[in-house]
Amino acid sequence: METFLQVVANGLMLGGLFAIISIGLTLIFGIIKVVNFAHGEFLMAGMFLTYLITTKLGLHPYASVVVVAPALFVLGALTQRLLIQPLLSARDDHVQIFATVGLSTAMINLALLLYGADIANTPTSGLRTPVDIGPVRVLEGQIYIFLCAALLVVGLELFLHRTQTGRAIRAVAQNRAAAQLMGINANWIYVLSFGIGAACVGLASSLIAPLYPTSSTIGTYFVLTAFVVVVLGGLGSIPGAFVGAMLIGLIDALAGFYIGSDLREAVVFGVFLIILILRPSGLFGTRVKLSHIS
Amino acid sequence: MPVTFSPTLPAIRRLTPAAMGLVALLAGLFITPVLIGDEFVYHVFITICLFAGLSTAWNIVGGYAGQLSLGHAIFYGIGGYAGVILMNMGISPWFGMFVGAAIAAVVAIVISYPCFRLHGPFFALATIAFLEVFRVLALHFRDLTGGAMGMMIQLKLGWEWMVFRERLPALIIAFGMMLVCLIVAQVIRSHRLGFYLVATRERESAARAAGVQTVKVRLTAVAVSAALAAMLGTFHAMYLTFIEPAAMFSLPFSIQIAMFALIGGIGTVYGPLLGAVLLVPLTEFARGMLGAEALGLHGFVYGVVLVMAVLFFPNGLMGALQRFPAPKASQDPKVVQAAPVAAAPRAAERPPIGQEVMRVENLQKHFGGLHVTNDVSFSLREGEILGLIGPNGAGKTTVFNMISGFLQADSGSVSVLDREGRFQAPTSPSDFAALGVGRTFQIVQPFAAMTVEENIMVGAFYRHHDVHDAREAARETAHRMGLGPWLDAEARGLTIGGLKRLEVARVMAMEPRILLLDEVMAGINQTDVRRAIDLMLSIRDTGVSIIAIEHVMQAVMSLSDRVIVLNSGEIIAEGKPQDVVRDPHVIEAYLGKDFVHAQH
Amino acid sequence: MLSIEGVDAGYGATTILNGVTLDVQAGEVVTIVGANGAGKTTTLRTIAGLIKPTSGRVTFEGQDITSLPAHEIVDLGITLIPEGRQLFPDMTVRENLMMGAYRRGARAQQHETMDHVMELFPRIRERLDQHASSLSGGEQQMVAIARGMMARPKLLMFDEPSLGLAPIVVAQVFEAIGKIVAAGATVLIVEQNVFTTLKAADRGYVLENGSIVLTDTAEALLSDDHVRQAYLGI
Repeated sequence: METFLQVVANGLMLGGLFAIISIGLTLIFGIIKVVNFAHGEFLMAGMFLTYLITTKLGLHPYASVVVVAPALFVLGALTQRLLIQPLLSARDDHVQIFATVGLSTAMINLALLLYGADIANTPTSGLRTPVDIGPVRVLEGQIYIFLCAALLVVGLELFLHRTQTGRAIRAVAQNRAAAQLMGINANWIYVLSFGIGAACVGLASSLIAPLYPTSSTIGTYFVLTAFVVVVLGGLGSIPGAFVGAMLIGLIDALAGFYIGSDLREAVVFGVFLIILILRPSGLFGTRVKLSHIS
Repeated sequence: MPVTFSPTLPAIRRLTPAAMGLVALLAGLFITPVLIGDEFVYHVFITICLFAGLSTAWNIVGGYAGQLSLGHAIFYGIGGYAGVILMNMGISPWFGMFVGAAIAAVVAIVISYPCFRLHGPFFALATIAFLEVFRVLALHFRDLTGGAMGMMIQLKLGWEWMVFRERLPALIIAFGMMLVCLIVAQVIRSHRLGFYLVATRERESAARAAGVQTVKVRLTAVAVSAALAAMLGTFHAMYLTFIEPAAMFSLPFSIQIAMFALIGGIGTVYGPLLGAVLLVPLTEFARGMLGAEALGLHGFVYGVVLVMAVLFFPNGLMGALQRFPAPKASQDPKVVQAAPVAAAPRAAERPPIGQEVMRVENLQKHFGGLHVTNDVSFSLREGEILGLIGPNGAGKTTVFNMISGFLQADSGSVSVLDREGRFQAPTSPSDFAALGVGRTFQIVQPFAAMTVEENIMVGAFYRHHDVHDAREAARETAHRMGLGPWLDAEARGLTIGGLKRLEVARVMAMEPRILLLDEVMAGINQTDVRRAIDLMLSIRDTGVSIIAIEHVMQAVMSLSDRVIVLNSGEIIAEGKPQDVVRDPHVIEAYLGKDFVHAQH
Repeated sequence: MLSIEGVDAGYGATTILNGVTLDVQAGEVVTIVGANGAGKTTTLRTIAGLIKPTSGRVTFEGQDITSLPAHEIVDLGITLIPEGRQLFPDMTVRENLMMGAYRRGARAQQHETMDHVMELFPRIRERLDQHASSLSGGEQQMVAIARGMMARPKLLMFDEPSLGLAPIVVAQVFEAIGKIVAAGATVLIVEQNVFTTLKAADRGYVLENGSIVLTDTAEALLSDDHVRQAYLGI
């Protein structure tokens, strides 16, 4: 029983990790309707930046967020403005997909060129200290990740529903042309949203860096799971991504323990494929399409 | 009917420089390394051939069918593993290659079938996920695959084992396999399958209405593409002599395959070749010269080139090249609307209205809480024109979707008389097409990237399987519809009037017995309305039955034998056009009270 | 107030408008009559800045707005109530109305405008906290009009306000538009219901095949043979 509870606790902590990575991805998709295949590399870039700030300046990894999040905001905003926006009117999806796939390839290999294949370990600053909560034991850093993910979900929801800018973002997401007719600068909203989504990744990378080794391929490792989470939660839904992350965290932990650690990825992707094919709108998406009406 | 078109000779002459360039390129690919004789140069050219072949195979799915696979390494990996495993059991890779191809084709069909519901990025994501599953499985079943340690082939040299000490035989095989891929791609593109694939990519619904079994053609494409990729995988495994899951089922490798096609020109036959020829040497030489210092350099170059390519050459190099010789169809598309519909020869007397050919009974349809079709019943007779009118949103198009198989009614039935005189109950668009029901779409659905002729050919293929026959039939239809001068123009360049006519032409090329026309007169001018009316009457006189949704009252009044008025999903009136427009319900719901005032 | 001179516009390579010229004076109600696909919606979308003309000029109150982005045109005081309602489906009615007042010139008086609009459409008041997607078609059209009015525009453009509505609801919509017109608004309207619209309008343009073929007072158009034959089926 205690083992089971420990596995569940691990699953929830993993879920927190997946959540904080996925929130930016789902935000960007939900608003701009672009799947950012370079999302994982944004995370990688943020983790390298955290590593550099922590080791060169001797700061606490969490303190680096004041630099990393704005830096990622700029990276995201530039990606939208220079790469995605010129392609928004493209006839085919493949152009947008290749654009971010190309960005991802370039970023991974740029990291390889700059840092080589070595692993960069950000100082843990005591965040790997185990903490006992009742019968289970988790790492201090994991708790912070989980809490930050939950706060980020609440914060973003409040921002999107309670502020004029947030409402404008939702309006653009729901009906771009109508939003323009309200006087909303949709292109600017897109740049802003991509920036916010990327800044969320920046936050995630400062939280994750002390716990996970940074390497050029770390993004690929996380991003595939992030896609799973986002599809599961319903693309574009921030609370959905949180719940989806918890589910995938639990599935990952349970499959890793009871089926075998080398097959847990296969189980996670198997679940993903089943969801994608049977319920492409995600577990919680219930929108009825009325587009057939003449 | 005499056809007075010039033979295809000019077309051949026009192609000659391009064809010569292609031959020179291919010859260069083979001769250059032989002449230089350097090991490394051989390696580069073998790699070019390999990627050109893989990319060409990918393009059959990713380009022609428009299904953006980022998991093609699955098939390459299957081929590689099948070859190595069988070789280590003492079976020649020449045989193992076909085993791998067969397995890959089956796997491709099994994993693609459910994924065809997904579009764009989601299809790409699903293929990535499948790739990851295969990689994890290959790592897991180490008894079969050697797991993470990888697998070495037993060194048995010679042609029967596809393993050589010298490089020339490997080049011969790689070059030969690339040629096979190119030939297959060329054959598919120039035959019915290729037209169907492109049509399905451009407008799936219009392709289905033209009788294309879209799932079947896509699965065929996927199977062929996977088989070719697997065969190249077998070869490459033999060439490398060592394989491991991380290399065989690799996402960056899949991306590279797709990337060459995109940069060369996605969907074109020779674009992938061009992409590989230009990019592989660039990065291979960089890697060769800078060595370990440049870890990641070639990938960085690929990524940057890819980003630049999508920003500045979204149609690839082939697309950019094609812009140079002035496009043949440079006529001002605006003229299309002014082109007369060919004077349709009318029979002196119209044949009498015959028996029932379509029976619609008690159709019901709900969307969410909305009752869009409520108990709609009517019938259509041979050689009759039935007008379907009603306010926007009354459910006319929904009825059309249900009587052409695009939408299933909640209850009620649609039956169509087949050629043997029995009533059938078709369900899918291809069932309806097989029974001779052709339809147009209110919002025109051209295959935008295809020429006018090719658009109509997609319809003509339904009766003529041979490309030549279909082309002749398409031209004849085009001339009848007044589209003759624009045969070689891309459909996307036509005006709305031209597109409306193209929509009808595509359906007419299917030689339907029942024609469903959804607002084909909308947006065309008065003169053309009159001509279109004549055209429809001449179609009717050949015994075709027509149901026409129309707002142009002038057309409704002069064409229809009977009119049905739909309002809020219900039939509120039915009868001769003159009677229907006097019906008070119709006036209230559709024509407006002022219509009556205006008549006085 | 608004004038369009020789505008060509379309989607991609497809040209829909061909040298369209028209104008709207302050306080006028002008309608564009034409078959489906003739280019009426394209004309309105071009004025609103959603489509950029390939040639020609659009001016509003003397200012050239041809190349302004859509949101800046809204800021100048032109509001389009688009075809098919185009509400924000997952927002409440109140939020939809708030978005209507996003325009710089309207945000400050948002609450007063909302009270005023509620008087015009009392049924909306009961629906304020419902999601827009849960409303009936007629209610959605009312919200769309109300949302357009929230911007306090100088020129209000309607695109097919009766599209897909039951006749009884159409009557209510026209009643509402009538009230707006009676209050002195400047209106450019496109509507399939040609008679009703011409009755309410001061002037009209007939658009065929992407070009203006006829323009006159609404009264004259109502008795014009061509209009009667082509658009009224008489």
